[in-house]
Amino acid sequence: MVAAPLSSRRTSIMIAIWVAVVLGGLIALFLSSQNSAQFGRLQPWILLASAVAVAVLIVLLARKVLQLVAAYRSGVPGSRLTSRTVIVFGALVALPLLTVYLFSLEFLNRGIDSWFRVEIKQGLNDAVVLSRSALDLRMREHAERTERFAGRLAEGSGEGVLFLLEDELRESAASEIVLYGEYERIIGAASRVVADALPARPPSDLVRRVNNGEIYVSLEPIAESQYIVRTAAALPGASLARGDARFVVVVYELPRQLAELTDAVQRSYSQYGDLAALREPLKYSFRLTLTMVLLVTLLGAIYGAIYSAEVLFKPVQDLMAGTRAVAKGDFGTRVPLTSHDEMGFLVQSFNDMTKRLRRAREETERSRLAAENERERLAIILARLSAGVIAIDRRFVLQRANDSANGILGVDLTTRIGRELVAAENEGILQAFLEALQARFAAGREDWREQIELRASSVKTGSRVLVCACVPLPQAVGESAQFVIVFDDVTHLLQAQRDAAWGEVARRLAHEIKNPLTPIQLSAERMRRRLLPGLVGADADMVDRSTHTIVQQVESMKQMVNDFSEYARAPSMHIAAFDLNRLVAEVTDLYRTQDVGIDIVTHFETDLEMVEADRAGIRQILNNLLTNAFEALEGVRPAIIELGTARSESDGVACAVLTVTDNGPGFQDDLLGRIFDPYVTSKPRGTGLGLAIVKKIVDDHGGRIEAQNRPGGGALVRVMLPLRERTRAAARERRPELWRERA
Amino acid sequence: MTPSAQNNRRQDARHRGAGFAVVLLALLAMLPWLAAPALADPLDGTLEIQSAFVNNASGVYQLHVRTRYPANEETVAALRDGVSLSYDIDVTVNRERRFWADAGVVALKLERELNYHSVSERYVVRDPLANGEQKSFASLDEALAALGNVEAWPILVASQVREPGEYLVSVRASIRRGRLTDALRALMFWSDDWQRESEWYTWSLPR
Repeated sequence: MVAAPLSSRRTSIMIAIWVAVVLGGLIALFLSSQNSAQFGRLQPWILLASAVAVAVLIVLLARKVLQLVAAYRSGVPGSRLTSRTVIVFGALVALPLLTVYLFSLEFLNRGIDSWFRVEIKQGLNDAVVLSRSALDLRMREHAERTERFAGRLAEGSGEGVLFLLEDELRESAASEIVLYGEYERIIGAASRVVADALPARPPSDLVRRVNNGEIYVSLEPIAESQYIVRTAAALPGASLARGDARFVVVVYELPRQLAELTDAVQRSYSQYGDLAALREPLKYSFRLTLTMVLLVTLLGAIYGAIYSAEVLFKPVQDLMAGTRAVAKGDFGTRVPLTSHDEMGFLVQSFNDMTKRLRRAREETERSRLAAENERERLAIILARLSAGVIAIDRRFVLQRANDSANGILGVDLTTRIGRELVAAENEGILQAFLEALQARFAAGREDWREQIELRASSVKTGSRVLVCACVPLPQAVGESAQFVIVFDDVTHLLQAQRDAAWGEVARRLAHEIKNPLTPIQLSAERMRRRLLPGLVGADADMVDRSTHTIVQQVESMKQMVNDFSEYARAPSMHIAAFDLNRLVAEVTDLYRTQDVGIDIVTHFETDLEMVEADRAGIRQILNNLLTNAFEALEGVRPAIIELGTARSESDGVACAVLTVTDNGPGFQDDLLGRIFDPYVTSKPRGTGLGLAIVKKIVDDHGGRIEAQNRPGGGALVRVMLPLRERTRAAARERRPELWRERA
Repeated sequence: MTPSAQNNRRQDARHRGAGFAVVLLALLAMLPWLAAPALADPLDGTLEIQSAFVNNASGVYQLHVRTRYPANEETVAALRDGVSLSYDIDVTVNRERRFWADAGVVALKLERELNYHSVSERYVVRDPLANGEQKSFASLDEALAALGNVEAWPILVASQVREPGEYLVSVRASIRRGRLTDALRALMFWSDDWQRESEWYTWSLPR
C-alpha cells in the first residue's frame, strides 16, 4: 500500500517537469518572436537544452527499453502487454511525426531554394555586367585621355610639365593628376582640392602594369557612394635618367548619380551573395532544428508511452502476480491500490476476494483443525473403549475400526480400512460376525441392538457372545449409507455369571443334599444289619442288593456333592515356589504305575524357572487333565498321552505353559465352546466338573486355559500360568483381554 | 513443431525485437548527423597572430598587430559571390591578482569588413580606424595583407594601469561571416563554417 503514493508522487513530478518544459519553450518562443537579438541570445541555449533533452531522453529510453526487453525475456507478468502497448503507441506517434517531418523537410528545401532562384542571381549578374559595361566606356575614355596626356607630357620638359598638369586638370574632369618619376617619386601634382598631404603612393599593380607599358585604369570605391577612376600611363620615350618623369596618374571622380547607381547594384549583389551563401547552412540548420524537435517529440512520446504503459499496467501486473500467488495458495496477497478508477475498482474487488478467500480458508482450517481434534479425541475414546467399534458401508467396505474391535474379532482391521471386509479362512469369529451382520442387513434391519452368539468354525477360538448395536450414520447426498457397529464381548461376563450360578448351585447341593445322605446311608446299613441275618432266599438276596444299591448310590452322591463342594469352595491357595517339571514328573509317575496300556510321554523345558503357585491346585489340575485323558483313551490303542512344559511370554508376563494332549476322539464340536462350563461332559459317567474345576484353579492363578482338538485327532489342553505371584493380580485384571487375545 | 522449437523461435523473435529497438535508437541518435551535409571548410589555412606589441605614446598605449589570415579558392569564390567577411581583432588587458581571478581592465574588439566589389572587381576593406574610409585592392592577398596589419590602435591610457601589478595583454584574431542579422547568425549556430578564431597571443604590458 506504500507504492500507491510513491507512484502518484512520481507521476506528479513528471507532469510538473513536462509542464515546466512546455511553458519554458513557449516563453522562449514568445521572446524570440518579439526580438531577434533576444532570439539570437536564446537560440544557442534553446538548442543546447534540446540536445541535452535528446541525450537524456535517449539514455532514459535506452534504460527503459532494456528493462522492458529484460522483463519480456524473463516473462515478467504484464511485460508483453506493456511491450505491445508501447509498440502500438510508438507506431501511432512515430508514423504521423515522421510524415510531418519528411513533409516539412521537403517544404523547407523547396521553400529555401525558391528564395534563391537562378533568375535573381542571373539578374544581379546582368546588372553588374551592365554597370561594368557602362563604366568601362567612361573608364576607357579616361584611359585614352590619360594616354594622350602622357604623350603630351613626354613632349614637355622642365617646369613646363607642371603647367601641363595644371592645364590638363583645368581642361578635363580629373580631380587629381600626379606625375611620378623614378621609385614612384612625385615630380609634380595638380589637384582640385587643396591637399594638406602628399598624394598617396600608387598601388603596386599600377606601377607594375605601367612599367610593362600598359595603360592602367581602375574603378576604386573610396567611400559610401564615392568612386574614383584611377588611370595611369607611362610617358612614351621617358628616359631612364635620374630625375626624369616616368608615368602620370590621373584620378577622375565618378559622377554622384552614377556612383549611387553603382553602389545600389553592388549593394544588392553583395546582400544577395550574403543570403545565397546561407542557403545550404540555412537548410541544414532548419533540418537540424526540425530533427531535434522530431527527436525530442518522438523520444518523449515513446518514453511517455512506456511510462504510461507501466503506470497503466502496473495494477494489471500486480493483479497477475496476485492471481499467481492466490493460485499457489497465498491468500495474504494484497494488490496496492494506485487509483480510484475502474482499475482501482478491479483491484479493490480482487483484494476483497482474496480477503474473503483468506477468511474462508482460515474458517476451513479452523473447522478442519476442530474436526481433526474431534477425530483425534474420538480416536482416543475409541482406542480406550473396551467395546469394539467399526464403521462400514452397505458393501461392507471398512471405514474405521478401533483397537478393541481388533481384539474382539481377533484380526487387525486397521490394515483393511478402505477395503471390503472379508474374513480369511482362519478368521472364524470374523466370519461369523460378518454373517450375522449380513443376515440382518439382508432382512432390511439397519438400526438394531442384539446379543449375538458367534459359533466359530475353528475349535481353537470357541464360541463368543457379543452384545452388538448397529446404527446408520447420517449420510450426505450422493454418499453411500454407512453404519456404525458397536459390539462388546460378554462371553467372559456370561461365563462369570454362569460360574457364579454354578457355585451357588454347588453350595446349595452341598448343603441341601449332603446332609440327608448320611442318615440314608446309615438307615440302609442298619436295615441291612437287622434284616439280612433274619432273611433267607430271595428276600435276603433282595434286601442285600437293595441296601447295597442304596449305600453305593449314596456314596456316589456323596462323591458328587463333594465335587460340587470342591468347585464351590472359596479359593484358599498357598502360594509357594516349586519346580513344575518335578511336579509333573511326580504325578505322571503315579499314573504310569496303573498298567492300563497307555503311554505317558513328557517333554520338559529344562530352563523353566520356579513357578510361584498353589502346588496342590496345580496337582489338582494335572490329576483332572490326566483323568480326563485316561477316560478319553479307554478302548483306544495305541493310547498316548503327552505332557509338556514350556516357557512363554504373554503381554509382557512370563508364563509357564503346561500342555496335555492325547490321541483320543477329542472334544465334541458342539461342546467345545462350553467345555469348561460345569456339568458339560461327553462322557456317560462323570459330573462334568473336572475341566470346570481346572479352569477355576487356572483363573484363580491369573492364568488362562485353552482347549482344542488336534488336527490329527485327539484333544489338546494348554494351561498358561504366570511365573511370578506379583504379576498374577495384573494378569487376573487383564483376564478379559487375555481371553480376547486367545481368540 | 516441438515445444523446444517454438521456444527457440520465440527467443529468436525476442532477440530480433531487442536488436530492432537498439538499431532504431541508434538511428534516432544519428539523425542530426544524417541530416548534416558534408561541407568543405572555406577558411582552411593558417590563422595566427604573428606578432604584437604595445607602445606607450604620450600616455596612450597603442597596439600593433601582425596577423596571418587564411586564403584559399573557397574564400575567393565566396567573396566573388557577394559574401562579406569580418576580420576581428579582440584585445583584453587584465591585471593579475594572486589569489583571485584577474581583473579586467580593457576588452576591445576591432571589427573590419572585407568584401568583393563586383562592379569594380576589387576587394574592399572597411576599417573603422580609417575614419569610415575604405580601401580597395586588386587582389585578395593585398587585401589580407592590409587587414593583417594593425598599426597604432589606441587601446588604453596610462591612467587605466596605475594600480600596481602585472598587466597582461591578450590578442586574438577571428574571422566570421559579416552582415548577418542576429536571428540568422543564431540559425547558423549549428553549421556556420565561416567562423574561426586564433589562439590568444598574450604578453605583459610594458610600463
